[in-house]
Amino acid sequence: MKAFETYLLDRAKVEGNHQLATYEKLGGYKGLEKVLKGGMTPATVVDEMKKSGLRGRGGAGFSTGMKWSFMPDITKDPRVRYLAINADESEPGTCKDRVLMEKDPHGVIEGALIAAYAIRASAVYVYVRGEYRLSHDRMAAAVKEARAANLVGKNILGSDYSCEVHMHKGAGAYICGEETGLMESLEGKRGHPRQKPPFPAQSGLWSSPTTVNNVETVFNAPYIIERGAAWHAAIGTQNSKGNFLVGISGHVNKPGVYELPFGVTAQEILEEKAGGVWKDRKLKAWFPGGSSCSLLKGSDVDVVLDHDSLRARGSSLGTAAMVMMDDHTSMARVMEVIARFYEHESCGQCSQCREGTQWLSQIFHRIAHGHGLEDDVATLEALAKGMAPGKTICALSDAAAIPTLSAVKLFKDELIECIRQKRDPLAAPAPKYATVGAH
Amino acid sequence: MVKITVNGRVVDADPTKPLIRACHDNDVDVPMYCYHPGLSPVGSCRICQVEVKQGEAPGRVMVACRTQPVEGMIVDTESPKAHDTRRECLEFLLKNHPLDCPICDKAGECDLQDYAYDEGQAEGRSNEPRRPMEKRKSLGDVIVLDEERCILCSRCVRFFEEVPKKAQLTVSDLGSRSIISTFMDRPLTGNYQGNIADLCPVGALTLKKFRFQARVWNLVKMASTCVECSRGCSIQVEVLRGSDVKRFRPRANEKVNGHWMCDYGRFAIGHANADGRLEGARIMEGVTLLQSPIEDGLCAVRDALMSSKGALFVLSPYCTVEEGQALLELARRHRAEIAFVSPAANALKDDLLHTGDPCPNRRGLSELGIAGDTPLNLTKRIAAAKVAVVAGERVVEILGAAEVKALPATVALYAFECHPVEARALRCEIGIANHVERAGTVVNLDGIRGPLAAVKPAPRGVRALSRHLEDLARLSPLSKESASR
Repeated sequence: MKAFETYLLDRAKVEGNHQLATYEKLGGYKGLEKVLKGGMTPATVVDEMKKSGLRGRGGAGFSTGMKWSFMPDITKDPRVRYLAINADESEPGTCKDRVLMEKDPHGVIEGALIAAYAIRASAVYVYVRGEYRLSHDRMAAAVKEARAANLVGKNILGSDYSCEVHMHKGAGAYICGEETGLMESLEGKRGHPRQKPPFPAQSGLWSSPTTVNNVETVFNAPYIIERGAAWHAAIGTQNSKGNFLVGISGHVNKPGVYELPFGVTAQEILEEKAGGVWKDRKLKAWFPGGSSCSLLKGSDVDVVLDHDSLRARGSSLGTAAMVMMDDHTSMARVMEVIARFYEHESCGQCSQCREGTQWLSQIFHRIAHGHGLEDDVATLEALAKGMAPGKTICALSDAAAIPTLSAVKLFKDELIECIRQKRDPLAAPAPKYATVGAH
Repeated sequence: MVKITVNGRVVDADPTKPLIRACHDNDVDVPMYCYHPGLSPVGSCRICQVEVKQGEAPGRVMVACRTQPVEGMIVDTESPKAHDTRRECLEFLLKNHPLDCPICDKAGECDLQDYAYDEGQAEGRSNEPRRPMEKRKSLGDVIVLDEERCILCSRCVRFFEEVPKKAQLTVSDLGSRSIISTFMDRPLTGNYQGNIADLCPVGALTLKKFRFQARVWNLVKMASTCVECSRGCSIQVEVLRGSDVKRFRPRANEKVNGHWMCDYGRFAIGHANADGRLEGARIMEGVTLLQSPIEDGLCAVRDALMSSKGALFVLSPYCTVEEGQALLELARRHRAEIAFVSPAANALKDDLLHTGDPCPNRRGLSELGIAGDTPLNLTKRIAAAKVAVVAGERVVEILGAAEVKALPATVALYAFECHPVEARALRCEIGIANHVERAGTVVNLDGIRGPLAAVKPAPRGVRALSRHLEDLARLSPLSKESASR
């Protein structure tokens, strides 16, 4: 791996950075100051973001500057507007936002305020996953400190821009991380995603124009403002710019969240950052970006980790949460766990998703437990095709179908073998229980 | 209005209404479960997928209930892609459906069943056990919920939110464990609960009073009008062949009741089915009522009318416009007074449909020039008259059975009623058809005319009031002649 400049996690490594004093000592809130006092208009901030080539880090990888520019023109549409920060990070394998919120909450707030200024939002709602208690508490404490220092609230830093930051704790539903589900939940309703259109930029929170951004996305904003779009655009590959956070987990020696520039290969990350596959085993399969993107074979680990290269291999970058699986892993069991997750988290609105996720889960459960039937693999494939793409209100149905399709494609033989043998050859041996009275 | 192409035909579509409306208005069938024309669309069942082409872009399969018609849109409801998507969706909907159609009250009028016959594959691919859930969960006095049959279209949830504007139901739990429930399992309340059984596209919500009463394909259905208040909701009367009225159901009528009706009207089948009907005519001979031919009864009425001037005609508020007209002519011919019984408003009035006025044809009768009078006044007027004719179903009940019974014998009382009348003053009573046995017109409080239909044959020897009046007119000599005699 070539040497590269880090910036995203630099401050996070400093002890006590979640406090304002330390954060400011490390150069914090300079970006916000530049925006508010340096005479930057919201339009120039949006332009800057567009030029920087920053793409959303929440999974879809959409251009952040473009997204901000979708907000209606304030001269024609004077409705109040909101920014929602999506910190409901609950995709299996994804854990990058947590690091930022716990170790660098002021960075998140600064980024959020820059984003809010760019879209002229009068309030920011930070929707934190319910289980992330420390994240929530650190963020809430940071908002309080920032408010006391006139960084949040009325006339921030003496400028004429006012913006409030509200913290909101989710109640543990994956679907509330879907942007429209998040908005419903914020409004106090059940987290049932809304049909689009209307898109959030036209009618979002309380029917006002709203932008929903991921934590890591807005976290990038202060750096881009401070150092310039050109600096950011110089890092990375053709269509994927800057540094990004990789959360690597699974059967590796050193799982964790690492900062890397776009352009390094998965192999390099696995070997040089995560210390390779554990127990000197071989890599069998991996998810490049959380459980809702296509599985890749171990041999695909030479892929460059960016949006285009992964798309070329039939997968996607998602949230860059690499889940690595060694060659002792049973794919039937992996898919059973994943399908069960989606079954549990489906909101139940759309027929395909409500029934389909349950059906997938039942079939994978049977296969993994030696009750597979001959036509199961064909049924799985047909079901997954019936659930995606774009057949439902939100993408949860797709998220369940995509890994299923890839598993059926890449590991068909293994699944068929499980069905044929009426047992999972790779299943962990049954634990030996001590008989009663043995001790 | 915009012009769109649906299955190759250029049609006008209202851009403010979802595409599915444009399809349905032009007789293009698009299945629907969660969509209902009377409720806001949510687009959750995903069954109404059609292929939509806009401009140069390739056709996309979209839900018709959440797509707005745009000028030049090309819609294909029968393209292979749309068909496949719908069939897949149907398979998912049937995955956990218990398929207990043989014991389901909805069978025969079930949207899921109908569409499964049209589109579905004959064999299921599911090897999984179906989701076991509560089969009969009581939701109050009116509704039973079968959670297994429910396809979670949420029409019932939206109905309470949007129509009576008092949310009572919700979808609780998540994903495949979702169920329809009330808060803390409290019973449903209000006068509009029955509507959710009509709304339910499957047999999940059924009426306690209709459960196991009839197979719907044995029901004779005809358009009629509810006579329980002056709203005159458009309804469908459903009679089990060779038996009783089993159900009143609302009929869509944007001008009157939308898609709904109140439970009071819905369950008022008691009057229509009541036993102990007055058949033929009964004439008082001395102190006993003798069963007589109808002609004899009519002659008795004619003789009484001709022998005395200033008779009093008292009409039931249930009389149709036609009956009112005929009685009015008769009364004029005999220079008789005429009025209809107008009881006081009841407490059932609400903001939605029920007007609280129990006279379904108040406006129709008033427009004819017949005045309403209170039951109390009218019994006094009858007591003071020499000859009184009370006509129309439930007229005695509304006047007050006890008051009618107590009328002095100085009055010669002639009754056209559905049920035998008990009164000292009674000289003759003639049986008439009730509101599901005769045709006619009633005019609601807004002046909208609603039909009554003869859905059920009247009992033997019972005819409609208007038939009796026709015969009576034929029997009565003209008033000039009667004056000259």
